[in-house]
Amino acid sequence: MERLAAIADEEFVVAGSNGAVTVSPANTQQVSAILALASEHRLSVAPIGGGTKQTWGGITSPHIYLSLARLNRVIEHPWQDLTCTVQAGCTWFALQQNLSQHGQFAALDALFSDRATVGGILSSNDSGALRQRYGSLRDLVIGMTLVLSDGTIARTGGKVVKNVAGYDLSKLVTGSLGTLVVITEANFRLYPLPQYERSFTLAAPQAAQLAPLLADIRASHLLTQSLQLRRSASGAHLDVCINAHPEAHQEAILAQMAKQHGLVPEECSPSIWRERETIFSADATVLRISTLPTRVCTLADQLQATQSDAQAISVSQAIGIHDVALCGSADAVASTIAQLRADAQNTVAVLQPAPGVDMPPHVIHPSALSLMQSVKRNFDPHGILNPGKFFAGA
Amino acid sequence: MSSSLTTAVLSELRRIVGDRGLITAANQLQTYECDGLTAFRVPPAAVLLPESTSQVQSILRLCHRERIPFVARGAGTGLSGGALPAEGSIVIALSRMNRILNIDIPNQQITVQPGVINANVTAAVAAQGYFYAPDPSSQTVCSIGGNVAENAGGAHCLKYGFTVTHVLEMTVVLPDGDVVTLGSKTPDAPGYDLAGVFIGSEGTLGVATEMTLRIMRKPETVQVILAAFDTISAAAQSVSDVIASGQLPAAMEIMDRLSIEAAEISVHPNYPACEALLLIELDGPQAEVDLQMAAVIDICKKNGAWETRLAVDEQARFLVWKGRKAAFAAAGRLSPNYIVQDGVIPRTSLPAVLEKLNAMAAAENLRVTNVFHAGDGNLHPIVLYNRDNPGEEERAIDLSLRILDVCVEAGGSITGEHGVGREKQCSMSYMFSDPDIETMQRVRHAFDPLDLANPEKLFPTPRICGERSRGAYAPHPLEASGIAEVF
Ligand SMILES: Cc1cc2nc3c(=O)[nH]c(=O)nc-3n(C[C@H](O)[C@H](O)[C@H](O)COP(=O)(O)OP(=O)(O)OC[C@H]3O[C@@H](n4cnc5c(N)ncnc54)[C@H](O)[C@@H]3O)c2cc1C
Repeated sequence: MERLAAIADEEFVVAGSNGAVTVSPANTQQVSAILALASEHRLSVAPIGGGTKQTWGGITSPHIYLSLARLNRVIEHPWQDLTCTVQAGCTWFALQQNLSQHGQFAALDALFSDRATVGGILSSNDSGALRQRYGSLRDLVIGMTLVLSDGTIARTGGKVVKNVAGYDLSKLVTGSLGTLVVITEANFRLYPLPQYERSFTLAAPQAAQLAPLLADIRASHLLTQSLQLRRSASGAHLDVCINAHPEAHQEAILAQMAKQHGLVPEECSPSIWRERETIFSADATVLRISTLPTRVCTLADQLQATQSDAQAISVSQAIGIHDVALCGSADAVASTIAQLRADAQNTVAVLQPAPGVDMPPHVIHPSALSLMQSVKRNFDPHGILNPGKFFAGA
Repeated sequence: MSSSLTTAVLSELRRIVGDRGLITAANQLQTYECDGLTAFRVPPAAVLLPESTSQVQSILRLCHRERIPFVARGAGTGLSGGALPAEGSIVIALSRMNRILNIDIPNQQITVQPGVINANVTAAVAAQGYFYAPDPSSQTVCSIGGNVAENAGGAHCLKYGFTVTHVLEMTVVLPDGDVVTLGSKTPDAPGYDLAGVFIGSEGTLGVATEMTLRIMRKPETVQVILAAFDTISAAAQSVSDVIASGQLPAAMEIMDRLSIEAAEISVHPNYPACEALLLIELDGPQAEVDLQMAAVIDICKKNGAWETRLAVDEQARFLVWKGRKAAFAAAGRLSPNYIVQDGVIPRTSLPAVLEKLNAMAAAENLRVTNVFHAGDGNLHPIVLYNRDNPGEEERAIDLSLRILDVCVEAGGSITGEHGVGREKQCSMSYMFSDPDIETMQRVRHAFDPLDLANPEKLFPTPRICGERSRGAYAPHPLEASGIAEVF
C-alpha cells in the first residue's frame, strides 16, 4: 500500500473490505508505475472504468483495482479534422457533450453512457443500434495510448483517420476485456451529428411476421441509421431509424414497403434505442448472441419457445447481434444456454450470469484460442491483468 | 543463379505443388524479384504457385522445419516493397488461388480466395445490385490477398472505410503451418480481434488463403462534380468547408496542375486546365444527393471555383474517374522514373504542408506532383526523376522520405494505404518510439516466433536502417517532449 501511495497520492489509494486495494492514478505515467510494481510482485490487477461491465468475460478477484476515474479529460477536439483525443476514464456522455459543441459525435450509442467510460467501452467492444450505419467500435478508433503489464507505455495508430503504419493494435485491444493492456487514451474519428433522425416501429405477434420486411429493408436503398428487433413474450417490434433529408421522403418509402407486408409503421420516441439497457439492468442472466443477419428473426422467436421454463427478452440488431435477458431458475437458464450453444449457427457469450448460473463466459475455437493465448503471454507474461477473463487460468 | 535451396528441399516442394507449381529457372524468377517499387530487387530462391490452403500449409510446414523464410505475393502491385523477396526466401504466389467460393446475397457476404482480383469481386455481385467498397486505383489488377495484407484503401474509403472494415472472416496459415480461422461471418468473433491486427500486417503474420468479405448495396444515385481552382489552397478550403457543413461525400480528391496535364496526355479525360482540380462524389437517394450537390457547388464557387462540371450518368463519371485513377501511371508521361509517396496529414494542415513540400522540391531541383485523397488527408506526392542522371535516384528517394518526416511532424502518418514494406521501414522510427515498435513485435512473435514470414519488412532493423545515411535513428521527436503529448 505504501508503495502504491508513493505513486498515486495517499488519498487515491483505498483498501476495500475484501482485501483488494483500489488505486486511482492521475496520469499515464502513474498507471505505468503501478503496473510495473504489480508485475514485480505478481499482484493481479483489474482495470476499472465506470464498473458497468465488470462481469463481462468472467468475474475476477484481483489484488488491485486500477481505477481510471481521474483520467477523465477530453484532451483535444480538432473538429475541422473530425477527430478527438480523450482519456480512458472520461464517461461516454461527457465525451459526447463536449463534442456536440461543434455538432459532432463519436458514432456509438454505448450502454449506460452516463457511467460507462471510454476505456471500459473499448475494452468490452460495446456496440449499439448505430452500428448499422457507422460500423463497429474498432472502425471508429484511430489510435491509443496503452500501458503494458510491465509498465511499458506504447502508442498505436495515430490521430489521422487514414493510417496503415505498423500493426493496428487498437483493433487487438478493442474487446480484449482488460487482459492485454490498460488503455489510458484513445483517438476517435468523429461524425457530424445526425440532423434528420426519425424513429418508427412496427409491431407483430411474432418476429417471423416482420422478417420479410426486415429482409426487404436490408436489400433496399432506404437510409436506415438503426434497425432493431425487440422480442418478448408479449410480441415483436421492428424499430427503424431513418436519417435522411426530409425531401428524400424515406418515411413514405418505408410505409410503402411495410404496406406490401400488411404492416404499418408508427412514429415513436427515440427512447426505443435505449431499450437495450433494460436487458442489462434486470436481475437476469444476460447473453450476447451473434448470428447471421438472416437469422435475426428466427433466433428471436426461438428464444420464446425454448424447452426450459426460462423467460427471454431480446433486443437484436439487424446485423446479427442479440442482447438477451434470461430469467428463471438457474438450471433452466443454464439449459437454455447449453441448447443455444449446441447450435453451431449461434455464438453465445454470457455477459452477466445470475447467481447460481455457472457457464463459461465465452467459447473460443481451439485453433484460434492457442494463438490468442500466445498473444496474451507475450503481452502479459505473468498474467497479472484480469486473470481468468477469457481464458480460465491464463 | 542457382537456388540456395537443397535438392532435397526442392524435390519436397515439387511434391507439394507439382512441376507446374514450382519455378526455379533464373529467367522466370526475374518476374518475382520486385513489386511496384522497382528500385528494390532481390531474386527469390524459388517461387511456388499453390492451388489450395492445404498446399500452402504443407509449404509453410516445410519452411518452418527447414527455417526457410517465405514471402507471400498477390499481384505484385504493392508500392512499398512488401512483396520484395528476402535474401534466400521462397515466394508463395497466390495467383492460382483465384476462385470465388460462395456468394451469399441475403447476408451480404462473399467468400473468395486471395488471388481474386479486387474488381472481380464487384463484378461477381454487380448484377444483383451490390459492390465491394474498397477500391484502390489498382483495382483492376491487384489481389484481395494483397489488399488484406496492406489494408488497402481507395478514393471511396472516405465514406465506406478501408479493407479492414469489409473483411469478416479469414482462413490463415500461420508460419508454423497451423491453419486458423480469424474473425467470423457473424459479428464480433469471441476472443481477441486477431483478424483486425492481421489485416494490414503486410504478410508478416502468415498467409491468408480464404476470406469472406462484406458487400454493399449499390447506392441509388451517384453524382460527381469536377471543380477547377486557381490554387490548391482554395480547393483544400472547399474540402474543409464541405466537411464543416456536416456532409460526408463518398470521395473527395485533388489533383495539381502537373498531374492534370499528365492525365490529359495519357487518358484524355478532358479536364479543365487549372492549378487544382477537385473531384467530389456524392451518393445516396436522388433527392438528397440533388440537395447536397447544390450545397457543394455553392461551397466550391464561394472558394473561387471558376468552372464546375457535374457528371451524372455512368459514362461521364467513368471519364472523370479515369483521369484520377490513371494518375500514377500517367506520371510516366512526365518523367522516365518516379516514386509515389503516401503520407497522411490532418486535413487542416494541407496548405502549410504543401508549401513546405514545394520548397523542399525546389531546393533539390526535383519536380513533385501531387494527387491526393483530400477528404482524409492522404497525400500522394509523386517525385519525378531520371535514373540516368548520376545521383538523382538517391536524391529522389531521400526527398520522398523527408516528405514523410514533414507529414509526421504535422501530426500525420508515413503511410495511408501503401504500407511500410521495405521502403519506409526506417521511417517507422520517426513516427513511433522504440516501446511502440517493441509492442508490435510482441504480436509478431506470437504469430511468428522464428521471423519467417516476410522477414525484414515493416519493422526497422539495424541491418537495413543502419545503412541509411539519413539518420533514421535520430531520437523520436516526441520522446523528448514526454508522453503526455502523444502525437
Ligand atoms: C497504379 C497503382 C495504383 C495504386 N493505387 C492504390 C490505392 O489507391 N490504394 C491502395 O491502397 N493501394 C494502391 N496501390 C498499391 C497496391 O495496389 C496495393 O497495396 C494492393 O493492395 C497490393 O495488392 P497485390 O495483390 O498487388 O499485392 P502484392 O504487391 O503482391 O503484395 C503486397 C503485400 O501483401 C502481402 N500478401 C499478398 N498476398 C498475401 C496473402 N494472401 N497473405 C498474406 N500476405 C499477402 C505481400 O507479402 C506483400 O507484403 C496502387 C498500386 C499501383 C501500381
